[in-house]
Amino acid sequence: MLNIGNEKVNLCSGLSRRSFLQVGVAGLAGMWLPDLMKAEASGSVDGGRARIKNCITLFLVGSPGHLDTWDLKPQAPSEVRGRYSPIRTNVNGIQICEHFPLMARRMDKVALIRSLHHRTGATHENGQRWMMTGHDFNADSMKPHTGSVISRVFGQKSELPANVVLPGPIGNTGAGPLHGQTAAHLGSAHEPFFLGADPALPNFRVGDLEVPAGMSAQRLDARRQLLSQLDDLQRRTETSTTHTHDSSYDRAFRLLTSQRAKDAFNLNLESDRTRDRYGRNTFGQSCLLARRMIEAGVRYVTVNHFDTVFGQTCWDMHADGGGLNNTYLDYERHLCPQFDWAFTALLDDLEAKGLLQETVIAVLSEFGRTPRLNARGGRDHYPDAWTNFLAGGNIRAGQVIGSTDRIGSRPFDNPILPPQILASIYHGMGINLDTTMMPGPGERPVRLIEAEPIRQLF
Amino acid sequence: MEQRFEGTPHAEIRVEGRRLVRTEVSNDWGLRMQWEIRRNGQVVAVVNARPDLAYEHPDTAPGTYEVVLQMWYYVNYNKNPQGEFTASRFIEISNRVSYTI
Repeated sequence: MLNIGNEKVNLCSGLSRRSFLQVGVAGLAGMWLPDLMKAEASGSVDGGRARIKNCITLFLVGSPGHLDTWDLKPQAPSEVRGRYSPIRTNVNGIQICEHFPLMARRMDKVALIRSLHHRTGATHENGQRWMMTGHDFNADSMKPHTGSVISRVFGQKSELPANVVLPGPIGNTGAGPLHGQTAAHLGSAHEPFFLGADPALPNFRVGDLEVPAGMSAQRLDARRQLLSQLDDLQRRTETSTTHTHDSSYDRAFRLLTSQRAKDAFNLNLESDRTRDRYGRNTFGQSCLLARRMIEAGVRYVTVNHFDTVFGQTCWDMHADGGGLNNTYLDYERHLCPQFDWAFTALLDDLEAKGLLQETVIAVLSEFGRTPRLNARGGRDHYPDAWTNFLAGGNIRAGQVIGSTDRIGSRPFDNPILPPQILASIYHGMGINLDTTMMPGPGERPVRLIEAEPIRQLF
Repeated sequence: MEQRFEGTPHAEIRVEGRRLVRTEVSNDWGLRMQWEIRRNGQVVAVVNARPDLAYEHPDTAPGTYEVVLQMWYYVNYNKNPQGEFTASRFIEISNRVSYTI
């Protein structure tokens, strides 16, 4: 057993010499301590000088077809190029789909990455795991959500959790429950806070912020004291697990009793004009709520655009005539306009409030869609090539990183893997990826991510 | 969680010569919004109305032009075998204006 800071590390179970050396360099410098100041003192985290303090991820569940959105191929055969035309943007030489006219006027604030790909399965869950955690994994080796890592490294800034997911977790997308939206081995203190309510509803309330009916402040406090006594008892027999439970209880009580936290979730404090500008729908109001979360001290917000791919409009454009029947009509009437309206509102709003320079917006998805249209005019899953993008912070915008071949079937130059995107976010937020370690399964130290940041982004 | 849409969108439009001008939309659902342009009762164009508050239709063929602002109304994604939506549809969200060439 090795003590790193005030935590214990097992040296059995095949800890390699390299890992041991990493522990020696990083661990002994205090990198496991939840105390951000110690991490900064060791030089592994430089949150003070980093330009990016916060991140909002817009996760497009189902995945847009890259050939129909941000990587059009107007010279390709008709069965490849699809039915949309490219339009010019405010950056010379960059074109995107005609159904993003507002984004086209703000391309100077966006860095498109057109050569994303991964080599594991073509299920939604494979892609979700890659883009939420930077890893693919199975139930025996769960990896933490990026927001949970940020929570672990930087801690909370306010009464609100560091890591919030809006409006709710990803549900059934076809191949199991491993979507990468948990804290995994980082513990319950770093689990995402799931809103679990629809901010587009007129009677929108956050259930977790309401003291149960009939519960007085005195009774609430009495319960807290009882819980504290039980924790003391448990602490005598357990150590690290108890710590995470403590944090979870503290977090819940802080949320329940904080007016500031309640106000952060209150969209009625926004003008009608602002709410209209985001779109009076679940995704738009979630984007507005994301901005309010960042203002109130949340470090990492994920907005899931849809929670399933079945039986409703979403990006999963199979056009199968049954339960996966999204088509071009869904794209041009619903999905593209809804995204264009909300994304540009968020971009403009963050900029107007002076938050864009310290907040990166990451628009992510699971994979691309097949270059050739299927028999019913849809496109199926395709992890060999797709486009995602970043904006805000000190991201070098107005550029395209990487490209695909003439039919969008594979990266043509500068191929980018999903972990590189998340490594870039960590790097932008001031985390030294070479020295910062996390407690892994069995308390063994692990690197945050096995990838380097994309240098062209900075 | 199925997407929810709050309120009913509304805008006012007016015509200045051939130039169409709209207000911002209240209770904006944020979905596809378009100018529907008819000449002598027949639809001759539908044009994305999101980018700007004003639009001038280039068609100068003689006739009476009637214009209204429409927005996509999402009920569900059900479609018939031809691929057309069966419940979701465009609805009018403004007054109608007309001009003659």
